[in-house]
Amino acid sequence: MIEVRSLTKSYADLRRGTFVALDRLSFSARAGEVYGLLGPNGAGKTTALRILSTVLQPTSGSAIVNGFDCVTQPALVRHHIGFISANTAVYDRMTAWEMVEYFGRLYGMEKEPLRDRMESLFDRLQMQDIRDLLGAKMSTGMKQKVSIARAIVHDPPVLIFDEATSGLDVLVARALLDAVAELRDQGKCVVFSTHIMREAERLCDRVAIVHQGRMLAEGTLEELFETYGHTDLEDLFFDLIQKQGEKMAVVDNQ
Amino acid sequence: MNFNNVKLIFVREMRDQLRDRRTLFLIAVLPLLLYPILGMSFFQLAQFMRHSAAKVVVVGAEELDGLDWLPELIDGEQFSPALFNSIDERKSLQLVVGAGQEEAQAALKSGDVQVVVYFPVGFKELLQEVRQSLLKRAEETKSLEATSLPTPQILFISSNEKSRIAQLRVERVMRTWRTEVMQTNLRDSNVPLNAAKPFDLRPLDVAEEHQRSAAVWSKILPFILFVWALTGAFYPAVDLCAGEKERGTLETLLVSPAQRREIVWGKLLTVMTFSIVTALLNLGSMGLTANFVLAQFKDIGGIAGQSALSLPPLSAIVWMPIALIPISALFSALCLACAAFARSTKEGQYYLMPLLLVIMPLMMLPLSPGVELNLGNSLIPVTGVVLLLRSVIEGQLLQAAYFVVPVFGVTLICCLLAIRWAEEQFNSESVLFRESERLDLGRWLVHLVRDRTETPTFAQGFFCVVLILVIQFFVKLAMSAAAGNGIDYAFFRQAIFISQVVCIAFPTIILTLLFTRSPWKTLLLNRLPTWQMLAAGTFLAVFLRPLGMEFTQLIERLYPASEEMLVQMKAMGNAINEVPSWGMLMLLMAVLPAVCEELAFRGFVLSGLRHIGHKWWAIGFSAIAFGIVHPMLQQQIGAAAVGVALGYLAIQTGNLLPCMVFHAIYNGIALSLGNFVEEDGGAVNSQYAWLFSNGEMTIFQPWVLAISAVGAIFVLRWLHRLPYQHTKEEQLQEARDRQFTGA
Repeated sequence: MIEVRSLTKSYADLRRGTFVALDRLSFSARAGEVYGLLGPNGAGKTTALRILSTVLQPTSGSAIVNGFDCVTQPALVRHHIGFISANTAVYDRMTAWEMVEYFGRLYGMEKEPLRDRMESLFDRLQMQDIRDLLGAKMSTGMKQKVSIARAIVHDPPVLIFDEATSGLDVLVARALLDAVAELRDQGKCVVFSTHIMREAERLCDRVAIVHQGRMLAEGTLEELFETYGHTDLEDLFFDLIQKQGEKMAVVDNQ
Repeated sequence: MNFNNVKLIFVREMRDQLRDRRTLFLIAVLPLLLYPILGMSFFQLAQFMRHSAAKVVVVGAEELDGLDWLPELIDGEQFSPALFNSIDERKSLQLVVGAGQEEAQAALKSGDVQVVVYFPVGFKELLQEVRQSLLKRAEETKSLEATSLPTPQILFISSNEKSRIAQLRVERVMRTWRTEVMQTNLRDSNVPLNAAKPFDLRPLDVAEEHQRSAAVWSKILPFILFVWALTGAFYPAVDLCAGEKERGTLETLLVSPAQRREIVWGKLLTVMTFSIVTALLNLGSMGLTANFVLAQFKDIGGIAGQSALSLPPLSAIVWMPIALIPISALFSALCLACAAFARSTKEGQYYLMPLLLVIMPLMMLPLSPGVELNLGNSLIPVTGVVLLLRSVIEGQLLQAAYFVVPVFGVTLICCLLAIRWAEEQFNSESVLFRESERLDLGRWLVHLVRDRTETPTFAQGFFCVVLILVIQFFVKLAMSAAAGNGIDYAFFRQAIFISQVVCIAFPTIILTLLFTRSPWKTLLLNRLPTWQMLAAGTFLAVFLRPLGMEFTQLIERLYPASEEMLVQMKAMGNAINEVPSWGMLMLLMAVLPAVCEELAFRGFVLSGLRHIGHKWWAIGFSAIAFGIVHPMLQQQIGAAAVGVALGYLAIQTGNLLPCMVFHAIYNGIALSLGNFVEEDGGAVNSQYAWLFSNGEMTIFQPWVLAISAVGAIFVLRWLHRLPYQHTKEEQLQEARDRQFTGA
């Protein structure tokens, strides 16, 4: 479903020449699984997922989503993904219904099937009571629901969640995690980035630990615990990042 | 482009804007309220102006006493009623008599008094002397000579508006009084009154009422209309781009399948709608208010002029909305591009001022006297449309028709450029996800040179054109100062060398060395051309030359060169005649420009512009740039057309040498043709005369043109089949264009 090969993204930096935000990142995610990208802030998770959603272009490497190339076939890629991040807000001056309908139409859905799909979505996400509420009047939780509805209205095979729980209270975050699990059970391929260990433990089938644009480790939780001799994801995470820091310090000194 | 998506985005944005109370207020409610309120305050002001009396101090009023024949000037605290047409006018000047001169001047300076009328000591005697000399003219021949005139003074302060107006009124009164004095003198000395006025003069305006109002409205209306079109476009544009970025909804839209172009068009149509509606609403509301206010002004003599304005003519009402469409499109695209570049609404608002500073002079230019619709002005964006609109409002439809193509052509090109620019903003990662960064000029310059790319960037290509234009401007200033005493051969040779090498080749080479890692590749000189490519350049030049001459003739026929230009061209022609040998002429006028201009425009500039990702855009841009650097307008158009052929040749062959060959031969043929014509009388005395259908060897036989066209098509087809080298951006763009057809 998702094939990422040696994805690199660097920016011109006045001070350092180039700044490498993403350094030869490779991973693949399959249908029916939640693939977790785990890393501290600034690790390159958002950059990687923005490349997958085609709003950024990689400096080198390739990303294939559902068989389409993110660089040369961006419009087709966008047709086949649903993207939710802390940066994708809802329109203030649109109601929940209008917003989801608008995106459904942009995804090329016909009016009739769209209405049926929306009715069932609004039921499932318990959104019927906010149907005619303007975005400006919604609480954070309501907005998150609208975002989910907006991202899955066209029933995409691939879903990308970029730090989607940041800023949500426990109840709303939990509801979102449940929704993600449900989507996995429907056979969707989900990429889920977070810096919260508990979420990764709860949800992800496989996890990649990313730091400073590089992948430090990848595997199922069991595989990771076994390889690195830890029983707690948080300890493992700290351990890896610390080691990486030491390694970089040695390189810098040399 | 999927028009359904454009429509969806347009409808959503319109609804979004209409739900915004601020926008609605600004667009719809404000104009409906603004003008009536302004009109009302104007009306109040007019009332005030009518009743506010100016204080006039008369110093030396005693000089008027004791002459029983003298018509009355002062009557109590006012001027004599006989000197006014209406009581209101008389009341507007309040007199204070009996003050001393210094006291009066101090009062004038402090602003308590608006005007001081000063009759100097001896005024009475002089006045009497003038009268006596008239009465006794038969007895004394001496009296026929002019005696010195009595000169009262009117003191006022020109920097004070009120004082100035009062001065005008007082002067009018004094003139009337002078006429009365003169008439009394004449009457008393038995001279007919007509002696001092042998004939009368009466200007008669034969313009009809509607023409008069058209002349006035044609200047005012386009200006107001377009200012509102700009304002109406700006705020929605900022909200639609920078505002969305700020609210975080732009990324939501960008991850939808809508393509950037569709997003830009959807937003553009919204901004355009608001621009047009704002302009029309403002105009309508203003028109109604103005009608009312002007009616009031009619009563106030001497302020609104002799005849008050009537409503704008019907032609204005019909033509304005038509002209509004292209202008709104242009302003909307410009505003959208600026707004897309801004990170936040606050930053967006900052861009209004620079935008106004660029557009305002273009709108003001037609207001200055003597600026008429001609080819030069019609090619100036915005100004051309304003002038065209003025012409049609004035009813000069035929004259306007001549310039419809250049005016709308330029507007269309500007629109497309602005739209393309806006699209680029939506595609640019650095613009979309721009973080605040400290500006460090030194570091940035170091970065430009240290991290230089293989070939120049688009911005660097653009910069090269600007640099050439700036250097050209200063060199031209210096040269026109030096050319004061005529152009001789030495000066001509020097001028050509400077304009080619110093203005064009030198900056190009410096920029190439500074900004690129592969100078040879940038200048398309990294490999040798095949002989077929050189032949293609040669043949294309030979075939296109007759067509090019025909095109130049057509332009000159449609838009004749000005007197000034003809003088310049003649001086140039004389200088060319002075060149000692044909070889030298070729070197100066064909080979040198071919090398220098090709290095710049098909070398550095085109290499940079090709990073835009579409070869025809790059060719078009570079051709326009190539046109602009030519000195005369008629030449510029011709050069831009040739620039397209040269750009195509450069890209298809990937080599600059065929372009240089083309350029040298193309110039060379034109110069050589000039040599075949005999200087005296222009009679053709040449073995090539059979190619031409006129004696001056400027118009080719139709069959020559036909063969040329066929030949040029043949060469272009051959070029078309060459496997040209795509830039990375062009490859990407082509792949993206294919994504729907391929999948």
